[in-house]
Amino acid sequence: MALKLPERPEWTDVVPVPQYENIQPLAPIFYSPEYKDATDYFRGIVKTGEKSPRVLELTETIIRLNPAHYSAWQYRYETLITISASLELELVLTNALTKASPKTYQVWHHRRLLQTALCDPVPELAFNEEVLKADAKNYHTWSHRQWLLVHFDQAELWAGELSFVERLLAEDVRNNSAWHHRFFISFETGNTTRTRDDADEAVRRELAFAKERIALAPNNASAWNYLRGAAFAELYVVDAVEVGTDDVLDLENPAPSEGAELPCAAAIEFMADVHEARGKEGLSEAVKYWRSLAHTHDTIRKSYWEFRIRDAVANAGAT
Amino acid sequence: MDDLRLPTFNSAGHVAHCVRCLDGLPASLVEMDASRMAIAFYCLGTLDLTGSAEHRISPTDRESWKEWIWDQYVEGGFLPGPFVRGGSSGLHTAQQPSRVAAPHLIMTYCALLALAVLRDDYSLLDRAALARTVGGCQDPDGGFATNPGAGDADLRMTYCAFAICALLADWSCIDLPRALSYIQRCRTYEGGYGQTPQGESLGGPTYCALAALYLARLQPAEWRATVRWLVHTQAQAGGGLAGRTNKLADACYGFWCSAALAILGAVDLLDARALCGFLAQCQYKFGGISKAPGENPDPYHTYLSIAAATIVSADPAWGLQPLDPLLNASHDTVRWAKERVSVAPREPKR
Repeated sequence: MALKLPERPEWTDVVPVPQYENIQPLAPIFYSPEYKDATDYFRGIVKTGEKSPRVLELTETIIRLNPAHYSAWQYRYETLITISASLELELVLTNALTKASPKTYQVWHHRRLLQTALCDPVPELAFNEEVLKADAKNYHTWSHRQWLLVHFDQAELWAGELSFVERLLAEDVRNNSAWHHRFFISFETGNTTRTRDDADEAVRRELAFAKERIALAPNNASAWNYLRGAAFAELYVVDAVEVGTDDVLDLENPAPSEGAELPCAAAIEFMADVHEARGKEGLSEAVKYWRSLAHTHDTIRKSYWEFRIRDAVANAGAT
Repeated sequence: MDDLRLPTFNSAGHVAHCVRCLDGLPASLVEMDASRMAIAFYCLGTLDLTGSAEHRISPTDRESWKEWIWDQYVEGGFLPGPFVRGGSSGLHTAQQPSRVAAPHLIMTYCALLALAVLRDDYSLLDRAALARTVGGCQDPDGGFATNPGAGDADLRMTYCAFAICALLADWSCIDLPRALSYIQRCRTYEGGYGQTPQGESLGGPTYCALAALYLARLQPAEWRATVRWLVHTQAQAGGGLAGRTNKLADACYGFWCSAALAILGAVDLLDARALCGFLAQCQYKFGGISKAPGENPDPYHTYLSIAAATIVSADPAWGLQPLDPLLNASHDTVRWAKERVSVAPREPKR
């Protein structure tokens, strides 16, 4: 707004309400004159309960100054609905606000409200990818994407996700958000368009995928966590799938890329777990691996590896 | 390694930083307008954990700060600050909550603990209304929103709801089985918890999930994968803890992840010395602690770093008070709050 509100004729009928702070407030903010002005009028509007086009102008001013002002967002949404404003236009504005403040909870919540009303998830998914291009690990952006998929649950939406996530992992194989999303689309229960055969197939496909990426960059905790997750995916799919464990355990195939830093702590840990799972016969092998982690390859977690030894010995003794 | 001394801990500087923030924040921090009560909690919490609340807060300040917090009270809970209200104090006009000025669950938790640091007697608290607010924030799927019907549920509010139930010693206001099912749905294949169902494992929500379960005197059925994920947040180089796999260390996760481990009885599996070394490097030369070395400090990272240091039993020379990892305040402050929030209300003083 170019002019201050008190100087604008169309606002003269509103009585601004100053903020009450008491004599000695806690953590008072030295507001800019612009923000103080806009919020004084906002409180005036809230007091009378007015819902009108100028409320949209006022709340936009506040949101641009403070995108975390949840009351301005909330009142804005109620106003949009009350005056039957165009939600399509609101989405265009919200796109700009999202790009300006991608880490604010409120802007994503507003998108969710708009999508729930507009039911137009395909372009929303495309916009989401655009935001991820600027920050591929923004938690809010990913949460919104996952919500879109589950909320609308359409085969058309799910269909492109695997290749989408593949593109992101090609750019950064250590992007854990992308790995998480891959797990979500492959195994989680939100997708009701998936069949039982799809689920069986997913375990085999994903184990192979994780191993290929591990060979590419062995010291990548995201890929190892994913391999564990996929190997134990029976926790997530309805029925257990027989997985050829030998195939998973053959860590030489595919072979690590040239120039990979070896030995890799995550591989040693994985081998230890596999031997631990064999019970008493595997115990001494597992302990050997854990010791090498504690003393040489992952010393910051020394106490943890020693705990793993104690835990495994106790469990073996108990059975 | 063991005889290497940790860097000096500038306790007085951190207290001074928080006192400065309580006195006022620059216009550039206007985004804090909707979470001032949380700033108050982190600043007062810093005074609490450094053992300075007693002598750094004058009786006059104590009284007027308590009054400001109660000014943010609407029936059944607290607002983040006066930003949506005009006119006079809520206390003196007995404001009813409205759609735009509904009690906020996170701010209510922060206010109740901030009042405990100030040793308030909670005589103005309507406990039945508080319980109704908590119950009203619960969604049909078991999650909790910031205020009734807000539709913004995530594990932060589940934690706050459970913390308030624990303070009230009253769990009848929430649907516990549904709440537990929501928590369970936030668990991920990595072993941690996401902020919402289907979300990626993240340090903060993992703390919120575990603290909530233990506040309800429950335990997760499976904890080994959680311990594994949590100890792997510690960086081999630098010693700090990261919030997610393959992310950089951040001082605040020094707390969220170590406190989650403490709740599971496994905090000794971290390299405490390396973590404290990282936190000490995040100290700003003029006081306050930042998220990473060389960044600007703020009350959030200052408080959580100090809380992390006390969780992993830093050098006694740092002079920190022991912390209750479930409610996130010193033991004395938690005891104060539990004894007084749960009792039947007395006649209001006014």
